[in-house]
Amino acid sequence: MKQLWEGLFTKNPVLVLALGLVPAVAVTTTAMNGLALGIIAAILLVAAAIVNWVLAPHVPENAKLAVRMLVLILLVVAVYSLLLGRNPGLVASLGIFLPLLAVDELLLQAGGERRGFGEELLRACGQGLGFALVLVVLGVVREFLGMGSIFGRQIVTGSLAPLSLAGSVPGGMVILGLLMALVNLVTKRGGELHD
Amino acid sequence: MTNGLEILAQTVVSGNLVLVHGLGLYALIRHTTNVKEAAKAGVTLLTAMLLGSVLLWLLGPIIPVAPAPQLGFYLLVGLVAGFTAPHILKQGQVSSLERRAVDSALVGLLLLMGRSGAAGVQNLWFALGAGLGYLIVLVVMATIRKRLELAPIPKALQGVPILLITVGLLAIALLGFRF
Repeated sequence: MKQLWEGLFTKNPVLVLALGLVPAVAVTTTAMNGLALGIIAAILLVAAAIVNWVLAPHVPENAKLAVRMLVLILLVVAVYSLLLGRNPGLVASLGIFLPLLAVDELLLQAGGERRGFGEELLRACGQGLGFALVLVVLGVVREFLGMGSIFGRQIVTGSLAPLSLAGSVPGGMVILGLLMALVNLVTKRGGELHD
Repeated sequence: MTNGLEILAQTVVSGNLVLVHGLGLYALIRHTTNVKEAAKAGVTLLTAMLLGSVLLWLLGPIIPVAPAPQLGFYLLVGLVAGFTAPHILKQGQVSSLERRAVDSALVGLLLLMGRSGAAGVQNLWFALGAGLGYLIVLVVMATIRKRLELAPIPKALQGVPILLITVGLLAIALLGFRF
């Protein structure tokens, strides 16, 4: 369970390891987008970890990165194809950021190190859940600030103008930076990059 | 030519990959510790982008029409361009070098080019502008980062948080060019 906890909190991929920043900044304009991409990324992360774990002993050291990328491309194309048939609206709202999961550094390191199967699976689940959690939190904050709503439900009404910048990429960068700083403040960390 | 220069100006400034689309943040955080490293990463990615655009140009007639195979095609072109660029620049086998080129900025650019419907030489202008814009942002951030090291920043904001906030503020300034 230690791996699960680490992925969720103490070694959260976005807030602590600074991985997966592109989807965290670009997609989380609404809570629903954050939740959808978070779930998709978590599923892809677990699937990639399993496939890479199985393939790892048979792949030469200098080809490991290329193989992991090819595995991820196949998985992303499969998920894209599946979603396109069932929910084309969601695919459209995620734009290029669903395909871009194929080169996401968080997903690329799945199954990269030799561990026991159970340990690898728990680690992938923890990181996937941690990633999804951050995307949802960012989505909720940005949607609330940018549109005054959460999951499409209007919270702020009246003449109070929303901060439309929160829904843009620059706003996303500033909000993510502040969220990271808040986590650093609570955990009394800061300054270092955990690779 | 005018059309090409328009594309160039648009992709460097108002369509900047990092500041407007939020792509390539991995390199922005990891490869801007000094100006030389940032310039090297930027040039590698610029080469990869140009190579990717040439590949798309050459392979244009065989790009699949169905969405899912087309997506796989763009991702594979990105992979090939990203792995080949460091070898073209004769950068040798440095660990994680390939990672520097196979980046969300490269693949994102190829996907954006596919969506825009640009073809032929227009792709080259797109790639040149996007690569130059990316290179400029990396070098500017490396320079700002040097100054940030000397600034009295609260501990919680040090490192990645202040970098993200700085890039965000740079991007907000750039938004002015879009209106």
